[in-house]
Amino acid sequence: MTMSDEGNEPAVVQLSDVRKEYGDAVALDGISLRIRAGEAVAVMGPSGSGKSTLLNVIAGLDRPTSGSVVVHGDDLGRLDEKGLALFRRRRIGMIFQFFNLIDDLPALDNVALAAQLAGVAAPHARRRALELLDELGVAGRRNTYPAQLSGGERQRVAVARALMNRPALLLADEPTGALDSRVGEQVMDLLLDLNQIGQTLLMVTHDERLATRCASRVIEIVDGRVARERTLERA
Amino acid sequence: MSAVWLAARAAVRRRRLQTAVVGIVVGVCTTMTVVAVGLLAVSSGPFDRAYAQQRGAHLSVTYDRAKVTDAQLTSAAAWSGVEAVAGPFSQATVELGAADRPRGMPLTVAGRADPAGPVDRLNLWNGRWATAPGEIVMNENPAGPGFRARIGDEFTTPDGVTLTVVGRAYSMSRSADAWVTPGQIAALNPSATQLLYRFAEAGTTSAMRAGEAEVTRGLTGARLGSTSYLVLREEAAREAATYVTFLIAFGVLGLAVAILIVGNVVSGAVVAGFRHIGVLKALGFTPTQVLAVYLTMVSVPAVAGCALGTALGNVLARPLLSQAFRNLGAEGIGVPLWVSVAVALGVPLTVALSAFVPAMRARRLPAAEAISAGSAPQSGGGLRVQRWLSGTRLPRAVSLGLGLPFARPARSALTMAAVVLGVTSVTLAIGLADSLTRYQRAEARSGAVQVEAFPAGGPDAGSAGDEALLRAAPGTRYLLGSLDLPVRQIGNTDQTMLRLYKGDTAALGQRVLDGRWPSAVGEVAVAKRFLVQRGLSIGDSFAIEAGEGVTRVRVVGMVLFNETETIIADWSTAALVVPEAFPDRFEIQLTGGTDPRAYMDALRGSGLMAVPPEGAEQFVVIVLVTVTLLTLMLAVVAALGVFNTAVLSTRERRRDLGMLKSIGMTPGQVVVMVVTSMAVLGALGGLLGIPIGVAVHRVVLPAMADAAQVGFPSAFLDVYEVPTLALLAVAGVAIAAVGALMPARSAARLTIAEVLHNE
Repeated sequence: MTMSDEGNEPAVVQLSDVRKEYGDAVALDGISLRIRAGEAVAVMGPSGSGKSTLLNVIAGLDRPTSGSVVVHGDDLGRLDEKGLALFRRRRIGMIFQFFNLIDDLPALDNVALAAQLAGVAAPHARRRALELLDELGVAGRRNTYPAQLSGGERQRVAVARALMNRPALLLADEPTGALDSRVGEQVMDLLLDLNQIGQTLLMVTHDERLATRCASRVIEIVDGRVARERTLERA
Repeated sequence: MSAVWLAARAAVRRRRLQTAVVGIVVGVCTTMTVVAVGLLAVSSGPFDRAYAQQRGAHLSVTYDRAKVTDAQLTSAAAWSGVEAVAGPFSQATVELGAADRPRGMPLTVAGRADPAGPVDRLNLWNGRWATAPGEIVMNENPAGPGFRARIGDEFTTPDGVTLTVVGRAYSMSRSADAWVTPGQIAALNPSATQLLYRFAEAGTTSAMRAGEAEVTRGLTGARLGSTSYLVLREEAAREAATYVTFLIAFGVLGLAVAILIVGNVVSGAVVAGFRHIGVLKALGFTPTQVLAVYLTMVSVPAVAGCALGTALGNVLARPLLSQAFRNLGAEGIGVPLWVSVAVALGVPLTVALSAFVPAMRARRLPAAEAISAGSAPQSGGGLRVQRWLSGTRLPRAVSLGLGLPFARPARSALTMAAVVLGVTSVTLAIGLADSLTRYQRAEARSGAVQVEAFPAGGPDAGSAGDEALLRAAPGTRYLLGSLDLPVRQIGNTDQTMLRLYKGDTAALGQRVLDGRWPSAVGEVAVAKRFLVQRGLSIGDSFAIEAGEGVTRVRVVGMVLFNETETIIADWSTAALVVPEAFPDRFEIQLTGGTDPRAYMDALRGSGLMAVPPEGAEQFVVIVLVTVTLLTLMLAVVAALGVFNTAVLSTRERRRDLGMLKSIGMTPGQVVVMVVTSMAVLGALGGLLGIPIGVAVHRVVLPAMADAAQVGFPSAFLDVYEVPTLALLAVAGVAIAAVGALMPARSAARLTIAEVLHNE
């Protein structure tokens, strides 16, 4: 599927001619992209191709040099730093390769933190966090600190945190990259389940198995450009 | 170049900010230490040097020449403990008059053949010695504030003897106010004989007492008075001692802060540099070399800061020392070299010692553990606190900030200790300033005395009508008239003033610190220093020579008073000395709503000159300025400590901060979190620092008062009121918040993408 054959379903992500330069280096070179609600899109490509930069500009973690990025109706180019923070808080959930949990907080508080920052009272935030941990199968580890969790458990906690504010878009940066194959499979199942209940998903990965298993569309990026797009039939 | 130096130099360059913090903190604290120790070291030095040079008298005793002969005195002075003796010199009290000074001070004049001798070798610094009748040499300090006479001036005694000034000499022993030839003194009706002694043992009061007892054995009935050089020495060092007391307090605080901050910087560098330590060890650095790298890393800025601080301390100490010893003519006096050397060596050593403990941690750290650092699980009370905080109703940025200090309790404790000392300094400074201001206002009777008035014709132009005129003037509420009369305490060469008061003493008189206000004939009140320096107590009597008669007065009170050579008495005492006199100075308090300027204008043309009261005393102003400067320095140092901790904490938590921003923490929330994390230390520091500061104030101020021999009412120590304490509590938070603000803003600007993807 390309931008030309997009349907009438509302777009969660709309990129138009996005370019990102770091000094003389061009990370993104005029990328246009549309992701519809409920889609699961995998971005693949060799190292240094611009995958992570693409994820960062969509998440509002980085600003493009030119072009526009609209996510769930928010034109990120029009938002200041505080606006971007509020955008991330309300619209985006992120999962990282190395989990990025706060070592000083137990699992439950790591998850509840996202809602508490949005002003949700601690008891409500904790209740919701516990529900999510329960759904993801790690409720029993709610009082455990990140350093004492296994890699899979950490990533489940990270996923729970990403889902805490019911984001319009879940972004995953190499979500299985730091996990062994068995745990990686579990995380793949989790992402698939989330997408099947309607969660829009954009993941950056090197892992062909993850892409083919979880994504409905794969975008390949080379030298900052979309080299190829393919639609997949999921098993 | 050795590997240790190479690695240490790289570490210094990598940690520019912490290097600068260590350098500045050590520099500031070294400056304070040099000034404090320098002042302490020289507080008696100039006096001792000058006194030894003059072979000043350890003891000067005045005897009644009607009761003892010169031969008896010479015989008694033959005691084995006497190293040298000068005299007997005949002594007369003479009121010298001049054409422009009809009523002069009574001077102690001694008959001496020459200025040299085994004791009290006079510094004849201008003119020549008196060699003929009619010549007089005046005792003048060449560095003194003003001179009484010039060469060629002529004075006349009440008996009509004319004396011409032929020289000016200086006696540190203060053996006389002037000297004439032995032949001339006989014509001045000498009433006393003075003997000047140097003892083999004279270092202590008890040695001096023992010596005096020996040389006056059998002569006590003839002894009129004596002066110990210890009193002169103490007086010379008095002003310096006052500075020293609070400078030492601030110096100790400064050094303590420096040690804490340096310890904090190094432990922070060790924690932040775990991986670096691991790499060093993997490269083949021995544990001792790693230790050396960390000590060198701190010593480089410490040595630089110390060198600059020592130089700056020397520059700053010079005007302070000159001010403190100006009475000795010690202009240009500096900090002794040994102080600079000791501080320049001692401070870096202290810094290195404070760095030693955390550096030892780096030394002990196993290489494998160091390289894999960062994933160690945490546990303990700190995490329980964070857990509890996360459940409170506080905004999450605030509760996260409140919990951060518990993640690194040791570092937090060091930072808090720096804040505690900072708040202690501010508390002490505010207390000192308030107490000294209260003292100054009480001494000057600020608020009480609003206008001063004098007879326009000069000191002797007062009349009975002056008082009545002022009483009747519209706006006069209270009126206190006074008259100063030069007198001489028998047995003491210091010039003394008898101040007679008439009027509303209860409203306008000096504050009575002990005893009571003099109300009857012959009763006097004096300042504490008068009592201390003359060895008197309330209830004691002494004789004063005023005019042509000798009068005995009794001390009935000690008053808050800076004029230490003045005796206060009720007007009824005037009957003993000047029955026909009138007040020549009036102090006035006005009725409410009366404009002092209008009141003074209204007195024009009445024969009285009205002026506003004098301003604050210079010394108090100097102390206040110095205290303020030192406080600012320490507050800056404490804020630098917080700044350093906030920077370390922010750097360590870059990943966490990036993550928090990625899940929607706004830049404002990041600032709130970081500032809160330090403000909580500031608040706790304030709560601890305030009582410590109050306690130090209660120790330092009475010590300063003792050093200055000033009567200080304990009520002036009660300066900390609720608004002041509230302000001080805010001081801790302010110090911490200011220190944390810059790192917080830097944290808020972190680029999330860079932070989260540089694993």
